[in-house]
Amino acid sequence: MTAEEILQQIRARFASEVRTSEVRRGEATLTVKADQNFEICRFIKEELGFEYLNCLSGVDWIGENEMEVAYAISSLRQPGKIILRARVPRDEPVLRSVVPLWGTADWHEREAFDLFGIRFENHPDLRRILLPEDWIGHPLRKDYQDERFVPYPWDDRKPGSVVRPTTA
Amino acid sequence: MPHIQSGDLVARFYALFEGWGIPWIVPRLIVMLVVVSIIILFISVVAMFLIWWERKISAHIQARFGPMRVGGWHGWAQSIADGVKLLLKEDIIPTRADRPVFILAPMVVFAAALAAYVVIPFGPGLIVEDLNIGILYVIAISSLAVVGIIMAGWSSNNKYAALGALRSAAQAVSYEVPLVISLIGPVLLAGSLSTTKIVEAQRYLWFIVLQPLAFLTYFTCAVAETNRLPFDIPEAESELVAGFHVEYSGMRFAIFFLAEYANMFTVCAIATTVFLGGWRGPLLPPWLWFLLKTFFLLFVMMWLRWTLARVRVDQLMDVAWKVLLPLAFANLGITGLLVWAFS
Amino acid sequence: MTTVNLHLQQVKEQTGESMEEMWVNMGPQHPSTHGVLRLLIKLDGEVVRECIPYMGYMHRCHEKIGENRAYVQIIPYTDRLDYLASMYNNWAYCLACERLMGIQIPERAEYLRVLIGELQRIASHLIWLGTFGLDLGNFTLFMWCFREREMVLDLFEAVSGQRLNYSFMRIGGLALDVPEGWLGDVKAFLQWFKPRLPEYDRLSTDNIIWQKRIQGVGILKPEDAVSYACSGPVLRGSGIRWDLRKNDPYGIYDRFEFDIPVGTSGDVWDRFWVRRQEIDQSVRIVEQALKDIPPGPVLAPVAKKLRAPVGDIYSRVESPRGELGDYIIADGSEKPYRYKVRAPTFVNLSALPVMLPGYLVADAVAVLGSVDIVLCEVDR
Repeated sequence: MTAEEILQQIRARFASEVRTSEVRRGEATLTVKADQNFEICRFIKEELGFEYLNCLSGVDWIGENEMEVAYAISSLRQPGKIILRARVPRDEPVLRSVVPLWGTADWHEREAFDLFGIRFENHPDLRRILLPEDWIGHPLRKDYQDERFVPYPWDDRKPGSVVRPTTA
Repeated sequence: MPHIQSGDLVARFYALFEGWGIPWIVPRLIVMLVVVSIIILFISVVAMFLIWWERKISAHIQARFGPMRVGGWHGWAQSIADGVKLLLKEDIIPTRADRPVFILAPMVVFAAALAAYVVIPFGPGLIVEDLNIGILYVIAISSLAVVGIIMAGWSSNNKYAALGALRSAAQAVSYEVPLVISLIGPVLLAGSLSTTKIVEAQRYLWFIVLQPLAFLTYFTCAVAETNRLPFDIPEAESELVAGFHVEYSGMRFAIFFLAEYANMFTVCAIATTVFLGGWRGPLLPPWLWFLLKTFFLLFVMMWLRWTLARVRVDQLMDVAWKVLLPLAFANLGITGLLVWAFS
Repeated sequence: MTTVNLHLQQVKEQTGESMEEMWVNMGPQHPSTHGVLRLLIKLDGEVVRECIPYMGYMHRCHEKIGENRAYVQIIPYTDRLDYLASMYNNWAYCLACERLMGIQIPERAEYLRVLIGELQRIASHLIWLGTFGLDLGNFTLFMWCFREREMVLDLFEAVSGQRLNYSFMRIGGLALDVPEGWLGDVKAFLQWFKPRLPEYDRLSTDNIIWQKRIQGVGILKPEDAVSYACSGPVLRGSGIRWDLRKNDPYGIYDRFEFDIPVGTSGDVWDRFWVRRQEIDQSVRIVEQALKDIPPGPVLAPVAKKLRAPVGDIYSRVESPRGELGDYIIADGSEKPYRYKVRAPTFVNLSALPVMLPGYLVADAVAVLGSVDIVLCEVDR
């Protein structure tokens, strides 16, 4: 199945969901709306036969006020790669979990929750995974502030230095 | 040691005190004290040597040198330095530990190791007390060590220690059985439980020739008894960190360590006595022969440790009950039949 | 039923908890967790009933650091991911950037990358074999493996000046050409190394205790392996013939002849045996690479200040531990907009709770060892 065919099939099935789609370096790349992400993933897994979820990663598109979850999906039986990106609004980043499809999504989604604050519905155990449980904030968000990013944050008199944030 | 060539030296000592009108108990206590001091000194020296030796052997097996600095020649003083370090360390007892038991445990283990030395015949007459139930005594005493181990594991209030202690109890109970039965074969041949008599009985032929199966069974069990690889699951560092002595440090740890090496020496000395003809050998003095044979067995134990992987708990039990015990019984049966037929 | 058992039964009925079970913390300070990993294990006697891994003790937000560095500046950080296979991390990252920017690297650099990458695989597998020996209680194997691994490190020190964190690869090739006579040193190393492999076997593979310890333990079914997206030897141990060097070739791996060892039942033994055979295959590849390595430059002419065109890429390589993927989103500036590392051990480790239940504590150590984790990569 070539990347073109993959895209055609997905477009035929989920016409209203697909925002953009293109073939890049032989990979099928498409952006979809988030509300049907689980169904699209199931379609890709069960009907197109791409049973291997390589990677699931969150992205913070702060300029567009959106969050994104990018699934890199491939198969051990056929060539081809799919990069599926589901967009959610930034202030309400909620998606359906794909753990029922791929066991590996468990930890990846926990990581996205931990570092981006994207919440996954139906996730069996959505906890922080890399950061301590009492950590405040989600560091990979582009607007995350931490005094440790700024050299000498305590020195208010130095021109150009940032005042230490008082709220967490 | 009281029996060195002249039991009458001791007898004269007793007579001297009797002549002064001092109660009989006093000279006997003095003699005991001297003997115990000699044994403790011997154990310490042997254990320290064994530790250094084991480090050297393991190092050379593993393509390295081992201790090289302390003391000059090949780091011979390394064990002494380590001992001093352990002595000087802070004595840590965990807050939630069961204090009296925690303190008592290493003593029990060491006492058991110490007591076994009573019947080891280092040479003709070179024995603390030639008990007529010598072998039985050693077996009984060495099982006591496991009590100390369980005490240590339980009182530490640590899950790893408890696991280690439980494993140790299971292991000791399992391996005691084939160990005892494998020793009965040579005892039947010698017709005595006394260690000296067993050595005497091997005047013409070592029992290892007559009882190879018993020797193998005994030695395997002995390795397990002393918690050495491949049977060191009570203290398996990759699973249980250090097993029953995980909470021990400083001198208390050192005592466990000492007891382990003392036990190694005991089981190898028993093997030498029962199977390798004890102190018998040409040219060299008897005590040297005895030590040579014992240290050869010790070397084999170390060799095993640094070559093999560790068995698993269930496999350990399988080996004891399904392999060693039937072997030991078969050996006992055949020996019994043959002894009966030829007598 | 004795009184005690009756009591335990009642407690179980009332609270739903068995008194015979206990939770044990393995780690973060434990000799066999290969770093600071914490496994919360529910034990029923010696049998593992449940396992919950906790990680993140070494989390340093590698990805956030990456977002604030120029493309070239990220290379030294990739060393610190899987510090036992730094060269491969360099390679994975540089390859992703090269694919993103459309850079062709010189022929000699391709060969050297394969050569160095396979040497790195040998070194990494040696460490794994040694520490796996430790897990099973065989200390000697550990020292022997380290002896040969040191030789590989010496070779790497000769090319990069470093023994662990090499930062040797660059976007567009390599930092430097190898020193004169280095290829001869590699040959000499192989000559020394090949007779050592049967020696390891005598301590491990041929030993009955070793075999009995790991056969039939920690079985990972192929469908679980795929569902949990395991990769590398863990996936191949479950009987799936999948190696990115063959199935999705990068660099010039399609020019080399080598086999992909696979297991049959997916137990610890299979994972062990796959890795052990991979060492042989890596030796084969190194020998082939040594034979026809061409002269020439090792670095393509690239700009000092690299900018990637707008776009994203998921690029993957077969690191010693499995599929090492880099997901990079470029926004046209000199820094990546998003930089995500798909760490093979992070993903492989997620299958651990599936593999453990039902086996003994001693097996837990063996199973964890057979996954071959590097915590710096898991935590990132």
